[in-house]
Amino acid sequence: MKVRVLFFATIRSLIGQKELEVNVPEGTTVAELKSILGKKYPEADPALSTMLAAVNREFSDDETEIPENAEVAFFPHVSGG
Amino acid sequence: MNKTIAAVQEGDLDLNQLVKELATPDAGAVCIFTGLVRAVTSGEAPHRTDHLEYQAYIPMAEEKCAQVAEEIRERWPAVRGIAVIQRVGKLQPEEPTVAVLCTAGHRDTGVFEAARYGIDRLKEIVPVWKKEVGPDGETWVEGSYTPEPGE
Repeated sequence: MKVRVLFFATIRSLIGQKELEVNVPEGTTVAELKSILGKKYPEADPALSTMLAAVNREFSDDETEIPENAEVAFFPHVSGG
Repeated sequence: MNKTIAAVQEGDLDLNQLVKELATPDAGAVCIFTGLVRAVTSGEAPHRTDHLEYQAYIPMAEEKCAQVAEEIRERWPAVRGIAVIQRVGKLQPEEPTVAVLCTAGHRDTGVFEAARYGIDRLKEIVPVWKKEVGPDGETWVEGSYTPEPGE
């Protein structure tokens, strides 16, 4: 299934892209997607494991299953204000 | 009468205009919190800041600003008008970066606490990040709060 992946702040710099489209097996979890991306971008792998994730704009955790055509965002702890 | 403004914007924050927009016949108190870019930071890690660059996950950040406003409304039913606004882009020292405004009938209705809650909550759940650019280089600032799934 197709998933749109967005990156912000530190992880955007490490991946070197704002967003990607990836094909992953159905039922892929956030942790599995981190691992798939970590293999593709080894320099970002250590940071990826510590990133927060949002699936379809809702905060999620490593166990969250990603639905088809989802928008998944990875980012560090927020620092607005 | 309840009014809510939740936004993420590049443009200036006009606090007078926001007060006008939130004003209702039954509101006699407005509590405003705003934050400025601090050029000189003292304390444990003293440093100087040339400017800040804010990045946001805009659609989610706007939704989360609206969520902060809803949470204020649930906790302080006396609050009438609420604005939760985050600026993004390149911001210079002494420029306002954020605004949380709450209005109510009177000042003793929890309106101060409501605005305080709003800025604290924004810093926990609104997906915005700031990069400090100073004489020694650039650093992304990272918060410490981990939201629960669905929070």
